[in-house]
Amino acid sequence: MSDKFSRRKFLRNSLIGTGAMTLGFPALNVSAQEHKIRCGVVTSLSGANRFGGNLTRRGYDLWAEEINKLGGIEIAGKRYPVEMFYGDAQSRPASGADAAERLIIQDEVDVLFGPYTSGVTLAVQPISQKYRVPMISGSAESPNVWLAKPAFNFGMIPAVDLTTDKSMVVLAEKLGDRAKTASVIGVDEPFSKETAEGFRKGAEEADLEMLSYELFPANSDLSAIVSKLKAANPDIVAVGGHESVFINFVNTAKALNYRPKALIMHYGVTSAAFINETGAESNGILGVSVWTAGLPYKDELFGTASDYSDLSFSRWGTRPDYTEAACSASGLVLQDAARRLGKAPPWDQESRSQLAKAIEETDIETFYGPVGFAKEGSHFHNNTKPVPVVIQIKNGDVVPVAPENAAKGELAYPINEKS
Amino acid sequence: MDKEYELDLFLQTLINGILIGGILICLTIGFQLTFGVLHVIDFAVGGWTMLGGYTAYWLVTLAGIEPFISIFLVFALFLLIGRGLGPLIYRVRTSRYARPDLMALAFTFGIFLFMRGGALWLWSYNSRSVESVLSGQFLSLGPVTVPLLRLSAFIMAVLFSLGLFILLYRSRFGMAVRALAQNRDHAGLMGVDVKRISAWVYGIYTGLTASAGVLIATIYSVNPTVGIRYTLFAFFVAVLAGLGSVGGVLVAGLALGLLESYVATYIGARYSLLIVFGTLYLALLVAPKGVLGRGI
Repeated sequence: MSDKFSRRKFLRNSLIGTGAMTLGFPALNVSAQEHKIRCGVVTSLSGANRFGGNLTRRGYDLWAEEINKLGGIEIAGKRYPVEMFYGDAQSRPASGADAAERLIIQDEVDVLFGPYTSGVTLAVQPISQKYRVPMISGSAESPNVWLAKPAFNFGMIPAVDLTTDKSMVVLAEKLGDRAKTASVIGVDEPFSKETAEGFRKGAEEADLEMLSYELFPANSDLSAIVSKLKAANPDIVAVGGHESVFINFVNTAKALNYRPKALIMHYGVTSAAFINETGAESNGILGVSVWTAGLPYKDELFGTASDYSDLSFSRWGTRPDYTEAACSASGLVLQDAARRLGKAPPWDQESRSQLAKAIEETDIETFYGPVGFAKEGSHFHNNTKPVPVVIQIKNGDVVPVAPENAAKGELAYPINEKS
Repeated sequence: MDKEYELDLFLQTLINGILIGGILICLTIGFQLTFGVLHVIDFAVGGWTMLGGYTAYWLVTLAGIEPFISIFLVFALFLLIGRGLGPLIYRVRTSRYARPDLMALAFTFGIFLFMRGGALWLWSYNSRSVESVLSGQFLSLGPVTVPLLRLSAFIMAVLFSLGLFILLYRSRFGMAVRALAQNRDHAGLMGVDVKRISAWVYGIYTGLTASAGVLIATIYSVNPTVGIRYTLFAFFVAVLAGLGSVGGVLVAGLALGLLESYVATYIGARYSLLIVFGTLYLALLVAPKGVLGRGI
């Protein structure tokens, strides 16, 4: 046989070699690449709600980082890392819906983590349902989200009508005979109205006599309302609204020389802005929080609620609030459901439907508290298990005062006495 | 509630209403002047108020200036901003478009939207309030509590009105302004520098309106969305007063403040805007020129 170089032989061998490599490469590639669980996050990274939106991102990211340190989510004895994909809702429902669709179609995510606001959540949940992608929402608090009975969306924070309801009962129990009457006021817009309705329901459950219930437009002059409250002097005053209304209420009450015996609000009381804007006047004001670092909850990934708070602080430089905690706990729900599903990713449409069923059956304890989703009724797929903590501002610090298992300080009542 | 408390509440409502009226007067008095002279219904009024409030917040928090002193700084700053913007407004108002009045209205609405968008970008929805030495201070007149801050705002409104009256009726500048308000062309022929006077009038208006914003930040709080409410109030007080009538603002502002206060107390705050604006429409059916609608 001649050793002479044959151009024809060379070309033939090259062609065969290249063809074999081309055909064989995908198989080689798949076996070399580990599959990841692709998680999409739709939240407000820009726009008016970007601060809250970035809090949700911190919560989701912290979970992803911690679970990936262990090698990922364990399914049937094997670990699958998670990969996060982001869609900016730009604080607008329509943009949130677009972002969700993009994450599902282009990024082919296996599961979604939900938006910061209820408005965006309401726009995104039909998209998750259309493509049968389960969504775990770490932030939405409006009851309307759950009234829509979303088949694929699950909410970690109890709707605001449940938290304010329970917090009023907890507060009334704590005060005992000292509180017999209550007045509730609130801004006449959906979220604040639902908050006020919850307070009213709670007052009725606690057998408090309702002296007045009044809704008013946002940015109203509150002097008439404060004057009426001052004349009636109820034992508990509850306010449904956002931060600006609380600031106006506190300023107007101060100007009219009125200090309610107990003043409870919900969203925004624990924010640094509220405490900064009202200064010493914030002392003694009560608020509602679904979670605090002092609660006796724990899980295997994050440890205790306090451990989670320390971890978050070391990662982001600020202490987490209940929204951030709920978002991290959303990851724990996915872990548990994926483990029970027992199917390796990627998940097709049928597997994702089964995953949604597995999420629906969630019954776990976490650093955030117990998690279990309602399977029927007006709070369908909302985690109704957490008992809200009543907190009180004491010299700028947020101190849990009720219920007993969460209390870290004594409830000061009336608040015009030393807090 | 027993009868004694009912009387107390009635009197407290009276005081509340008068003091709310003071704030409305502060807000509207410059708006009236600019309509009287430039014949521009400035829809940016709420925006100037909001920016005045935020500027006071900066002056108080960054430089530690007492809000009642910061009013003068805010007035001076916005006087200059308005003076700078005045020629542009004048140009739009006197342009050769078919309806320059509508063009000017749309232009000021554009300014308002720009200010609102800018504020949202800068401060998100965060509310800011300003602490004064008078915050939480009050006079007790028997059962009635008079907040000193609101009383100061009322006094400030009276002083603004008085200052404006002196400027308009006791100075050469005022004479030129009144001449301009009566007939722009004739005033120009008589040697009045129409453009310059108009620009200064717009400056005085923005200064006064921003100063009202300082009072609002001290009493309530400001956020980027409050502007529309104050635009509405300024517009309705101005209409009730009689567009262009600075004197009418005193009567209309007080009337509106009292009406809102009594409606909020005895019918419900939820219905106050509905009833207040409904009453305004009825009042205008009876007196279309407003209470003192005779111009400056």
